[in-house]
Parts: sequence; structure tokens; C-alpha cells
Amino acid sequence: MSTTPTSSIWRGTTLLAVAAVVLMPVILPSPTLATEILIFALAALASNLLLGYTGLLSFGQGVFFGAGSYCSALVMIHWHFGLFPALLVGILAGALTAFVIGALAIRRTGIYFVMLTLSFSQMAYFVAYTMSSVTGGDNGLLNVPRPPVSVLGFELLSLASPLVFYGFVALLFLAVFVAARRVIHSPFGSTLVAIRENENRASAVGYDTRQFKVLAFVLSGAITGLAGALYALLLNFVPLSNIELATSEHILIMTIIGGTGSLLGSLLGAGSIVLLGDVLSALWPRWPMLLGLALIAVVMFLRGGLWGGLLDLKNRLIRSPEPPQPDTRQKDAAQ
Amino acid sequence: MDRRTFLKASLAASSSLLAAPALVRNAWAADAVSLYGVKSMSGAFASYGKFANMGSELAIKQYGNLLGAPVRYTTIDTEGNAGKAVRKVQEAIQQDNARLFQGCTLSSSALAVGKEVAKVNGVFMTPAGADELTGVECNRSTFRWSAATYGAINQTVRPLIELLPKAKRWYTITPQYVFGDALLSNAQAIFDEKGIEHVGNSYHSLQEQEFSGYLTNAMAAQPDVLLILNFGGQSTSTLRQAVNFGLHKQMTILVAWSAGLDQFQTLGSDVIEGVYLGAQYWHQVDTPMNKELVKAVKDAYGITPNYPLAADYIMTKVMLDAVKTSGGVSEKTISALEGLTYEGPTGTETIRKGDHQVLKSYYLLKGKAASAMKDADDLAEIISSGRSFPSEDAVGCKMG
Repeated sequence: MSTTPTSSIWRGTTLLAVAAVVLMPVILPSPTLATEILIFALAALASNLLLGYTGLLSFGQGVFFGAGSYCSALVMIHWHFGLFPALLVGILAGALTAFVIGALAIRRTGIYFVMLTLSFSQMAYFVAYTMSSVTGGDNGLLNVPRPPVSVLGFELLSLASPLVFYGFVALLFLAVFVAARRVIHSPFGSTLVAIRENENRASAVGYDTRQFKVLAFVLSGAITGLAGALYALLLNFVPLSNIELATSEHILIMTIIGGTGSLLGSLLGAGSIVLLGDVLSALWPRWPMLLGLALIAVVMFLRGGLWGGLLDLKNRLIRSPEPPQPDTRQKDAAQ
Repeated sequence: MDRRTFLKASLAASSSLLAAPALVRNAWAADAVSLYGVKSMSGAFASYGKFANMGSELAIKQYGNLLGAPVRYTTIDTEGNAGKAVRKVQEAIQQDNARLFQGCTLSSSALAVGKEVAKVNGVFMTPAGADELTGVECNRSTFRWSAATYGAINQTVRPLIELLPKAKRWYTITPQYVFGDALLSNAQAIFDEKGIEHVGNSYHSLQEQEFSGYLTNAMAAQPDVLLILNFGGQSTSTLRQAVNFGLHKQMTILVAWSAGLDQFQTLGSDVIEGVYLGAQYWHQVDTPMNKELVKAVKDAYGITPNYPLAADYIMTKVMLDAVKTSGGVSEKTISALEGLTYEGPTGTETIRKGDHQVLKSYYLLKGKAASAMKDADDLAEIISSGRSFPSEDAVGCKMG
């Protein structure tokens, strides 16, 4: 299978992601808002690995997000874990829950697969809700600390400042972005795309598609768990809503509106939804209706999402000599 | 003028022009007291947030100048999401140096926002229901206006037992989480004390909307009283379905924690007639300040004040009074609020210093028949009222 040279991973959309990350705290009203966008961009990016590259519509993303939030927060509160061990716990929690849900859900395909992830999402919510002595239940998990960056007990950098914390999250985001690009352009990533395009054919040529799908789930869960852990650090608090079905829906909407099959689209989708909420909620109490309309518009008229729309616009403006691609997802997957 | 001098002068002029808005903003910020209303203006609790915001805006408007300038009021929309509430409050603290916050309908939002405000020694006053706010999670910055679950149960269950001495069998429907459990345990303590038989309890989740199964269980237990311990949309659904099932003809129904007028208007007199309802506020309360408030709200908005409007009005007013007393927003504002006694809508109210709980009345109402209503908002009558609060030692609050 063809793969992209490692050097190209550092160019193209990676440079655009770096530019966006540098510009966001400058052009947005606050670094805290920019941090929230990056955290949800991480979650949307992870969802994109499943939906955009593997073709799996998972409603389990909120479970991985919530598991990452709760587990990292709990080890910081009760066992005084430092920053990196706590983040690692968040990543492992996300990966483990994704492994369990993924291994069971991929035994079915299509609507049954979606319904299974939906069921797991509901189950996880009720587990968190009823275990209030551990999770804080509906009141949420309070008093989550934000430990400094430290090595061998020596404090290197306090993350108390919103701008410094943004910088920390931005570095993690870029590291995950580059790693995700590397994965997508590897033979593993190409196999995921092959499964998305035609699972029977991928299976016929000798790939164990179940194994690949479970691995995609674990990868997605680990990144979403990291996002959840960072969200707990941002808020110093884990609301029960982190593990609600609505969180899964939000992450999916961000993925679709940004553009499935495009990692930069995930950043665009997360940014659009978080900013849209901030701006529109001040104007109209029923603004989520507009979100629904935006989703309908993207599904009907902008199959590649906002990122696909921007690419189309760019191609029209510079009158690209290449013929138009019939499927935006294929085009973006090759980036 | 040579070219170098001209460039320098141009640069200086353009810099000062660019800086002008910031200077004006800083000057404004220095003069005006800023208060941030943390309200659910969109999302699932938007109808509550709308009235709460109207209350705060009215209090700000009535206040006029405070320390020589009009109060600057900013609404922060929580979108009905605790995470959003915390992030937006963090932003206000970091970007605008905000210190005065009022609002938060959701207990989860109020608990987390209280922690954020406490980090900067600000002031936060909330009507949220969680007892932890003035209990184990209390802090120097957080104040609560609403009566605690202890008071809500003691001022509804206890008088109803006295009113209906033959009603010895009670059934409860409870949302299974901290708030519901607090209401239930308080009710069970009274049952034990008064020799009431607790014939059953149905737990349900916070997402439940269909209560017919729980109501069937209640009917099968044949209680004298059905005590509904959920709130908001869930108590609306439970009560409506209970009346549809005809339970109001077989037993007495008590909703211990109702949302007040707004909820009664939604249900209508045909549903709430004869039903007992616990409330934090009722517009017919006969106190001088409440009469003024009812008139002011009718003049300003053409409506009768409901609970969120009255609660956020009085909290905003009390906070501004404290700022006035302390001569600005500072640590002294917290001290000014601690132990403060003022005229509120429920009568003379006091902020208890030990846990920052406002000591105020709670009401037992009874739904009126349509024929007995004097106007569209005369949906219930006051049966009894009073104050019940656990002692400071019992709430578990340790101020940092």
C-alpha cells in the first residue's frame, strides 16, 4: 500500500494547524476559550479517526471523554498523581473503555453497531450517575487540581496561568495531530480507509478487519481520554455532562461539520461549534436549532464539511487544472 | 518637519488612537461596579434563566448609581451546562477582573462556579438547591438564598401531618441523586418521629419523563399521602400523570419542592387544585418588601413575579447593598454580607455567618379551584410558612 513520506507529515495541513494554534489566543477573546476549542478539537480528531477514516459512527466518544476526565481527576484528588501520570491514566482509561466497547460493538455492523455504541453510552452515564460517592453524581466531581509540569519532583512550569495552560494543551494537540497524520499515512491508516471503502474486499485480500477496527477504536479512545483529562484540568471540575450522550453527539457534530476525513476539519468543526455556542446563545435562547440546521446544510450540500468547502473554494479561485474529485473523503484521506 | 520627525509623530498619534478604546474601557471599569449574572439563558433551563435575568436587571435598574456610577451588568449564559458556566466565569475573572457573580440554577454549576469565585476572593450568591453549597463544599465567597432541603421538608411534611392527623401512610417518589436523597432522608426522619408508616418509595433517574410505572406502584401501596420529591419538569410530569390517573381523588398529593408560579401556570388549576405544594416564594406573601416587588415587576414587565425573578432580584440587590457598605468590591464585601439582616420578599431575612445560608421562610401552598381564583395568577393559597434550618454544627461547613 502506498504511504506518504514522513517529511510530508510536517508540511501542508500540519503547518496550517500550527498557524491556527499560534493565532487562536491572539484573535479569540480569551486563552480559556481557545483551550476549550483545542480540547474538543482533540476529541473531534479522535472521532474522525473512526468516522472519517474507518467509517464507524460511534456514540461512545462521550464515554471515552468521561472516562478520561473521571479517572485522571480521581487519581489527582485521591492519590495526588502528578500531571503526566494523571494524563496517562486518562489516556489509558479512554483506551480501555474503547477496547471493551469496540471489541463488542464491531461484532455487528451498520445500524446495530451504532445502537450498541448508543447503549454503552447510556450505560456509562448511569454508572457515573449512580456512583455518586466516587463521581460526585449530578453535582459533578469538584476540587480537581491542576498540577504543574514537574520532573522527578522538581517543578518546571506552573500551569495556573490560562495562557501557559493553553500553550501546554497546544503542544499536546500538535503532537497528537502529527501522530494522527503519521498513522493515517501509514499502511495501518491505508487499511482503515480500505475497510471504510469496502470491508468485504479488505477482508478478502487478507486483512483481519475486526482487529483493525478494534485498534482504531483504542486509538480513538486514547486520544478522547486525553481530551477528557485536559478538560478536567481546565475546569478543575468534572461535570456529569462529560459522560452524557449529548457529549458524544456534540463531538460527532463537530466532526461532521468540520469535515469527515480531514484532521484540520476537526479543529475547524470544534472551533465553529464552540464559538457558535458562545455567540448565538447570547442572541437567541433556542440557538441549538441553528446547530441542527447547520448540520442539515452540511450533510445536504457540503459533504466534505467546512474544510471540504474551503478546499472547493480554493480550487475554484485558483482554477485548479485537476478534475473535480467525486468523493471528498477520498481526496482528504490522501492529504 | 523632517521625514523622521513626521514618522515618529504619526506613530505616536496612531498608537494613542489604537489605545483609546482600551483607555476608555479601563476608565469605565475603574468607576463602575461590575456584576455578572450567571444564568441559563439558552438550553434546557432557558425559561428559568429568562425570569432570573429579569430579576437581576430590575434590581440593577432600580439601584441607579452605586459609588458614583451606574452598575455595569453582564449576563453570562451557562447554556444549561456546568462546564460552559465554569469556563465563562473563568474568562470573566481573567479578562475583566470580575469579582461579583450572582445566579446558577443548576447545583453542579453553582458548586463549581463557587469554587472558581472563591479562588479570587470574589462574591457569589446563588439560589441553587444543593445543600453542599452551605455544607461540606462551603467557602468564604459563596452565599445561598434558597432554603435547604431540611427546611423544605420540615415546612411542608410537618404541617401537612398536623393538618391531616389521620393520614398515617405515606408513599414517596424520589429522583435518585444527592438532592433527592437529602429530601427523602429528611422526610423519613419526620416519619419516624411522628409515627408515620412509609409504605414505599420509587426511585427514578434524572432523565426520567414517564412516571406511570411509579404511580401504579404508589396506587398499589394504597397510601394516604403521595409525597413527590422531584422538581422542575419532572415534578410537572409526575403531577400531571398522577392527576390523569385519578390519584388526587384517592390520596392527598404533596409536591415538596415546586418551582412556584411559573410551574403552576404551566399545569393549570385543573391539575393543581387541592394539591399541596412547597415553595421558596409566593407573590401573595404579605410583607412590605414583597408588595413593592410585585408592583415594581408589574410596572416594569407587566407580569407577576415568580420564584426565579424574585430570588435573583433580592440577591442582586443585597449584593449591591454589601458593595455599597464596604465601599467597593473587596474582602470587606464578604464581611458586609455575613450576618446581614435585611427586608426580603419573605420578610426579614438574615445571612447566617457560619455557613452563608440565608435564613428565610418556606411556604406550604394549596392549589385553588378555577372558580376560587381572583385573577389568572391566583393559583394557590398559603396554608402555612416558617423557617427550619439545621444548626451550623450539623451542616458540616468549614470555612477556609
